[in-house]
Amino acid sequence: MAGGNFDAPDSGGKGKSKNKVKGRGVTIDMTPMVDVIMLLLTFFMLTTTLAAPQLMKISLPKGDVKDKVKVDMGNVLFVRVSEKGNVFFAMGKSDGSETPLEKIEIKNVATKLEALFAQNNNLLLLLKFDRKMKYHTMADIFDEISRAKIEKRYAFLKMEPADLDKINAAGG
Amino acid sequence: MAKKVRDIKKASIHIDMTPLVDVIMLLLTFFMLTATFKAAESEAVMVSLPQSIYSDPDNKMRETDVLTLTLTSKGDVFVDVDNYKVRQRVFGEEFAIGVYHPDSTSKSEIETKGTVGDKEVKRKVVTLNKAQFEKVLVDLKTALRSATGNPKAEFQVVVKGDKDTDYGIVEDLMDSLHETQNKIFSLVTIIKADTKKE
Repeated sequence: MAGGNFDAPDSGGKGKSKNKVKGRGVTIDMTPMVDVIMLLLTFFMLTTTLAAPQLMKISLPKGDVKDKVKVDMGNVLFVRVSEKGNVFFAMGKSDGSETPLEKIEIKNVATKLEALFAQNNNLLLLLKFDRKMKYHTMADIFDEISRAKIEKRYAFLKMEPADLDKINAAGG
Repeated sequence: MAKKVRDIKKASIHIDMTPLVDVIMLLLTFFMLTATFKAAESEAVMVSLPQSIYSDPDNKMRETDVLTLTLTSKGDVFVDVDNYKVRQRVFGEEFAIGVYHPDSTSKSEIETKGTVGDKEVKRKVVTLNKAQFEKVLVDLKTALRSATGNPKAEFQVVVKGDKDTDYGIVEDLMDSLHETQNKIFSLVTIIKADTKKE
């Protein structure tokens, strides 16, 4: 037998000298290796989770829940979101009142915010979300706020019955 | 005569597999290096996360010391940490998971049906009320600090909300987080392609 024979065994004896010339380039049968690697590959492809979760950072104000912070109502933008996920903007006025509610398409929130911040850079966003609003709307809103190239200052406020009335008057 | 012998040999076709093996090897290395295995116990509750475009490259999910708050679409809040020693100290069992139902007007799904959606929770569930939930949030941090021996250790608080959860649950949760001095937390989302990038 020829030494170091990885290939299918050749018949010895006849034509031995011819085999030697051919056998200079040793061919390794890779089929079992490919089988194993294919198995491993399938395993890793199926078990891998490629879509790494994304994180949106949210900071709550420092201090206690009961702490009151005085803000100039002229620098306030009310962002109200209705149960259906409609967004309403209203600018605060220094005398405590506010401009009429303006309905904004959720995909235009970032552009609108940038436009408002171009006029007043000290705006504080007061977010009032309906308790029955779906959570993915909140993610969308934060997406838009993050996309807008503005200094992010926001606070969460509770939706009061008065706010609900305003939203309903503006079209829900 | 000799020619005939060669002809018979050639009849068995020999395919060179080297390039194939090369490519497969590359793919295999890629998947092996990028794979992150989800331990069965860390995915005790499955929710469908909302999608978002914005991604913050500086804010990534940590490998350890993560406090996960999972909100189901029916309004149950599951509280879990990745460190089993901490769970042992707070819940009394290594594989327990806490659940809190903030909305008093509805019933907790896990308590009434024992499932989330149609899936069973395979871990021991500890039911908590608001006061207990907030105590657990504080206790978890204390337990983490004593378990790791680092007096400044902090959890990374992540909120995994189902996209159909009512915002009211998130609001109640934020109140509890604020109350327990967890001022910074992150919402977990799945990235989606930005369709209107300028």
